[in-house]
Amino acid sequence: MSLLRRKQRDDQPVEPLAPPHCTPIAETEPRQHVCVTGKVIRMTARPTSGQPALAISISDDTGTVTAVWTGRREIGGVTLGRKIAIDGVPVMRGDHLEFTNPGYTLLPR
Amino acid sequence: MNVIIAGAGSVGRYMAGQLQDSGHSVTLIDNDSKVVTQGRATRTPVGVTWCLGDACEVATLKSVGAAQADVVAAVTGDDEDNLVVSLLSKQEFAVPRVVARVNNPKNEWMFNDMWGVDVSVSTPHLLTGLVEEAVTVGSFVRLLSLEGGKARLAEVTLAAGSPAIAKELTDLGLPRESTVVAVLRDGHVVVPRGDTVLHQGDEVLVLVSGGVEDDVRRALVG
Repeated sequence: MSLLRRKQRDDQPVEPLAPPHCTPIAETEPRQHVCVTGKVIRMTARPTSGQPALAISISDDTGTVTAVWTGRREIGGVTLGRKIAIDGVPVMRGDHLEFTNPGYTLLPR
Repeated sequence: MNVIIAGAGSVGRYMAGQLQDSGHSVTLIDNDSKVVTQGRATRTPVGVTWCLGDACEVATLKSVGAAQADVVAAVTGDDEDNLVVSLLSKQEFAVPRVVARVNNPKNEWMFNDMWGVDVSVSTPHLLTGLVEEAVTVGSFVRLLSLEGGKARLAEVTLAAGSPAIAKELTDLGLPRESTVVAVLRDGHVVVPRGDTVLHQGDEVLVLVSGGVEDDVRRALVG
């Protein structure tokens, strides 16, 4: 699980999750494991079948993707305008790509 | 289609056989080496690829090609396992369609998109629905929930005194969020048109979305 993979043991160096390893959003393909970076341009806490979920849209110069975390309404540090890296497998939802419970890294502004 | 089935019990093996017969490519995962060895040795179901491993592990799912799978069906006898398989399939491999079996109806509320489940199948609930359908004339029976309950397939057998009898479908005043999808009459399926006239004893199958169930019930049952 990418969320678990993100949890590093103290004695291991933290694997960098920032450019240049990341793909421009326009070049991401559905069902391919990717890392994208961008700014949070929209945040919604949406109920999924009555249960909480946090959905955010991330945009770089090339496009926009959505990331959804189930079971929570907020993530500390994830705010509008924040730069963030997302790591996971997206799926096509309507006209845009959506990640479910991806790994994330907050990037310096 | 590429189908991965987690759990090679009687349900999993039966599904695998049926799907393989219909021309799909099926992989069965089970963590019991006896089951897998026997399945491989006897080649039943025919043509199925077997995998010995724990379907709750990302590595196992990866090794059987979950990243390319069209459907993953989690049909073990453990609801916890089925949920884990569903979540991993959705989250790690973005599988377009995840089907999960509910063993204990008390757990059904968890089998939704929170856990990556697109369709949940609960045998006890299905049986209840079918029994209800067999014993009730003139009431509204829910057969199937789709999209996490946002749409439902329901059935009404028209009893004497139903306001729908001898009316054309267009005159029933059904809400826009519902539609009659089939009428079963004397063992035949009548494809419904606006001018189809309903009779007593007709089994009317209605697809209902949103909160208009009461209006549909009023139009068909009274």
